[in-house]
Amino acid sequence: MPYIYADPSRCTGCEICVLTCSFTYFKVLNPKKARLRVVRMEPAIDLVIACRNCERAPCMEACPNEAIKRTSKGIIVVDEGRCDGCGRCVEACPLDAIHIPPNGRAPIKCVACGACVQACPVGCLKMAYSFEEAFEKRRNYAERLKEIILSLRNSG
Amino acid sequence: MRYKGYAGRILWIDLTHEKVRVEDFPEKLAEGYLGGSGICARILYDLIKPGIDPLSPENVLMFATGPLTGTLFPQACRYTVAAKSPLTGIWGESHAAGHWAPELKFAGYDAIIFLGRASKPVYLWIDDDEVEIKDAGEIWGRTVLETDDILREEHGEDVKVACIGPAGENLVRYAAIMNDRYRAAARSGMGAVMGSKNLKAIAVRGSRDIEVADPEAYMDHVRRWHRKMLSHPFMPDRAKYGTTNLIELMQKIGRLPTYNLRQGVFDEYYKIGGETIYRKYLVKPVADFACLQRCGRYTAVYNEPYRCMGGGPEYETLCSLGSRCGVSNIEAILYGNWLCNNLGLDSVSAGGTISWAMECYELGLISRDELDGLDLRFGNEEAMIELLIKIAYRRGVGDLLAEGSWRAAKKIGRGTERYVMHVKGQEIASQEPRAQKSMGLAIATAARGADHLYGFPVLDEVGFEKEIRERFGEEYLPEIADRLNPKYKGFMVKECEDYMAVVEAVGVCKYGTQIPPVFYYQDMVDALRVTCGMDVDVRKLKMIGERIVNLNRAFNIREGISRKDDTLPERLTKVPAPLGPAKGHVVELDQMLDEYYRCRGWDLETGKPTYEKLLSLGLEDVAEDLLRKGLIRKAES
Repeated sequence: MPYIYADPSRCTGCEICVLTCSFTYFKVLNPKKARLRVVRMEPAIDLVIACRNCERAPCMEACPNEAIKRTSKGIIVVDEGRCDGCGRCVEACPLDAIHIPPNGRAPIKCVACGACVQACPVGCLKMAYSFEEAFEKRRNYAERLKEIILSLRNSG
Repeated sequence: MRYKGYAGRILWIDLTHEKVRVEDFPEKLAEGYLGGSGICARILYDLIKPGIDPLSPENVLMFATGPLTGTLFPQACRYTVAAKSPLTGIWGESHAAGHWAPELKFAGYDAIIFLGRASKPVYLWIDDDEVEIKDAGEIWGRTVLETDDILREEHGEDVKVACIGPAGENLVRYAAIMNDRYRAAARSGMGAVMGSKNLKAIAVRGSRDIEVADPEAYMDHVRRWHRKMLSHPFMPDRAKYGTTNLIELMQKIGRLPTYNLRQGVFDEYYKIGGETIYRKYLVKPVADFACLQRCGRYTAVYNEPYRCMGGGPEYETLCSLGSRCGVSNIEAILYGNWLCNNLGLDSVSAGGTISWAMECYELGLISRDELDGLDLRFGNEEAMIELLIKIAYRRGVGDLLAEGSWRAAKKIGRGTERYVMHVKGQEIASQEPRAQKSMGLAIATAARGADHLYGFPVLDEVGFEKEIRERFGEEYLPEIADRLNPKYKGFMVKECEDYMAVVEAVGVCKYGTQIPPVFYYQDMVDALRVTCGMDVDVRKLKMIGERIVNLNRAFNIREGISRKDDTLPERLTKVPAPLGPAKGHVVELDQMLDEYYRCRGWDLETGKPTYEKLLSLGLEDVAEDLLRKGLIRKAES
């Protein structure tokens, strides 16, 4: 399934992706109306969270109104007409990747349109497909060891 | 509010009476002063009475974002905080990036104005329309990082915090206001003003929209600005080193203040420079909101005794706690940087004050006994670190040094005054002006006392000849681009001051507008049109910049400032640089000042704007006010 993949070792936390997203869909600048979110945390953690379009999607399973569907490309979308805003999908998502925006009724989530990928100034975002994702994850996992090794050397 | 981009509201907080009031942002104010530094200049000129004690409840503390803050213009994340400065006794103003200012706008406010003084420690909690003055009993006395942790635990992870540390609480005259943990509105002692008001922090969460005037065209402009920024040749180094490699660059041109500005070169510069930090201490580059340049650093020291982890350092701190104090132990400097952030100290004035004490100690003007037994030689990093803590808590000799080098020297006497590297009471930052004449002039004329950022005339620093030609034409070249030549620097500093005032007024960064000089007036015009729907042109914007600078000057004139105060320490104007590429040079200040006043249309003798100048800028009320007080004259007619 395609989704927006973010490399946390490159993300600088500038939130340009978030502003771009809210502007693309709402024509306003508002991070809380973005379909993806940046989690910023000590020490130096910046992580973009976007919907992974899970194979067995908890949000879909939780929806009592069948308002959450999958397109032919594998993207999970919310049918606003069927949604009654109960919020069960929000509770069900393990990544908090679907949420109800301020003053909104129906939840929003990343639909992998790629607007943010274009806007990211450090190139940490990309459109990932499942087979690539596996390789990417492995590489990243290995890369994280770099930091540990560096800190060991420095404290050596 | 007719204009988009703005949140459209100003928050008034009366701390004495615990009253909160929300007012509309007047359109006239936006048209005349934009926002940020501009509206601070205007509103505080009217609100702050001349002659008041900066640490009394009569002082007014104002935070202001700009119309571009929180938008997608490159580096549009900044706010201005202003009040009368307790360090200089004149106009005080400081700026910071981070995520706090955009959050304030998303909560629906362009600015906050604090009046009076709370009867006990409080903090302000803003959650969109819910605004509450809350008891700060639990966070008073805490460091910046602790305060940030506690407030985010209380109100939620996504809350953004601006606060003071122990230095602000203890009224250290150069205390900073810190936001997003590591971002400092450091200069001119705004943290002490906040402390004097018993105001510990402002925590904010916002969920409202910022609208733009022309949504159809907006993204095209954004893409153009971003491309322009990202394609600048400065970008790769900026991302790799932040501002830390300025150590190497400044060493190369002899502009790296060393041993309390005795000289502009430091033998061990490579130990404290960008390459060392990149190789051994950088965890990763961190960007502020909407920032493409990511000059922010996140660094870690893994070894005792200076183990620490956090934001920074900037070039300024590397120099002020490094070469300026003769310290080459980079781990001590990084720890000192971390301490300044956590205690809420301006690292420039802290390093400036300590290096002054070091020189006086080495010359035998201050004894070891007076320094609580510290052997304060240049290069003694342990003593430096201990002093930073003493200063923030005003312990022992720290109580004296917390007053700043100028006040401390006045108290001690014995000739220590000669070694104070200040203008108007504020310590000179990490620029050796004998190696860059325009900087000498800018430091002398800046409204908040010694300050490189007010004019930030860096166009002659590393050869931006092309941009100089674009901005000012052919007529001033080649002299204007020669950093050792005083010619045309009056003109350049005037132009740069006006432009920098506009940059701070709209809420964007001096990096990207001045160094590297990517965006200029026309880009601001485009941005204000498409974002705000404001009908401006280059001429109007230039006038706004000039208006803000003249208003700052008028504020200072009311406090007794004139040409006699636009000076530099004798070391820089009389003693030739002893070493390095600028060897033999002094700052030809008077010559440059004459040109500067002429370009400004100010009186050559007094350095004050003329009545007519103020009228031409639309400052009739200010002209009348100064005339009535007998501070300026009308031209003989």
